[in-house]
Amino acid sequence: MTLADADLPSADEPLDDSDFGLLGEIRDMFAAADPMPAELPERIRFFLAFRDLEIEVARLAAEPDELAVAARGTEQSRTITFDSETLTIMIRIDANQDGTVRVDGWLAPSQRREVEMKCTAEPLCVTTDEQGRFAFSRVPRGTAQLVVRPAGLDGAGRSVVTPALIF
Amino acid sequence: MDQHRAATVQHHRPDRGTRIAGLMDAARQGSEDALGEIVTELSPLLWQVARATGLSAGDAEDVLQTAWLRLVAHLGGIHDVAALTGWLVTTTRREAWRVRAAGRRQFPADQETLDELPEPGPGTEEQVVVADEQRELWTAIGRLSARCQELLRIIAFAPRPDYTAVAAALGMPVGSIGPTRGRCLAKLRVLLDGEPGVTR
Repeated sequence: MTLADADLPSADEPLDDSDFGLLGEIRDMFAAADPMPAELPERIRFFLAFRDLEIEVARLAAEPDELAVAARGTEQSRTITFDSETLTIMIRIDANQDGTVRVDGWLAPSQRREVEMKCTAEPLCVTTDEQGRFAFSRVPRGTAQLVVRPAGLDGAGRSVVTPALIF
Repeated sequence: MDQHRAATVQHHRPDRGTRIAGLMDAARQGSEDALGEIVTELSPLLWQVARATGLSAGDAEDVLQTAWLRLVAHLGGIHDVAALTGWLVTTTRREAWRVRAAGRRQFPADQETLDELPEPGPGTEEQVVVADEQRELWTAIGRLSARCQELLRIIAFAPRPDYTAVAAALGMPVGSIGPTRGRCLAKLRVLLDGEPGVTR
């Protein structure tokens, strides 16, 4: 069926409540048929947070299965390794009694860097010691990401980021 | 059905515009949190914009990331909330079409032309499950022109005060939706009533 505009005198009427209701139904229908992935805004927020950095993205060196297991929390500590062009980042994740997780890490080659844990709460920042060790004693569960920055104001070199972790 | 419609009317808090305007100011000052809240607020609309062009879910996600990244560079020049929504819709849609065109160049066997109108809604590539109570609406929308399908799908996710800016961003004449109903919605109502000329 095609409708000529002459058949549509109501097109010039102002929007009324039934129009808004109909648009609400259309929204509900598409929201059900083709929903935006729920975690997409979070991924975009992470993506935007790194926009100004000259970065290297570290890749997961351990098995992805191991990452998933680490997230369960009921397991004993697990170690995950990320490799980038210039840096290897190893982290060990332990569940705390209060529902948070403890994250201990090492950088190789060992060096002093600033390490930031971007998580769903306020980001946490620590500096590694000379051996490249760092620790976050309590990290809330949820999505998190590690950023390893050059240390100090005159810090040279690029920042390294890990893929999103789910604790 | 009218009762159902009344129940699904979207009530925007009257302070939404003020809240978003405040977030825009804060984001311009460099607040990542404010920018993040704007992302959370408007991404569901932009998802529909990208998907209405027929992109895969993965490509749609990349398109949204690109659109938001562009916004950061342009935020200083966007001064009201409706303009923000319109700018994001325009940018997302352009980027989506650019990605579609690039995809087609990679598959020269695909004979579709670039200026072809968007495919209707989802379901062009993926199976869509529509609840029984929505089937009548789904069918009626499927009988509209591709332009009208795209307009209604996107407007349905837009905040009400931004309807005019979004219609303009889609290249539809002012009045296509808000302050007047426009042809697309008028046609849909006629189709749903099954009887031309009858106002619901």
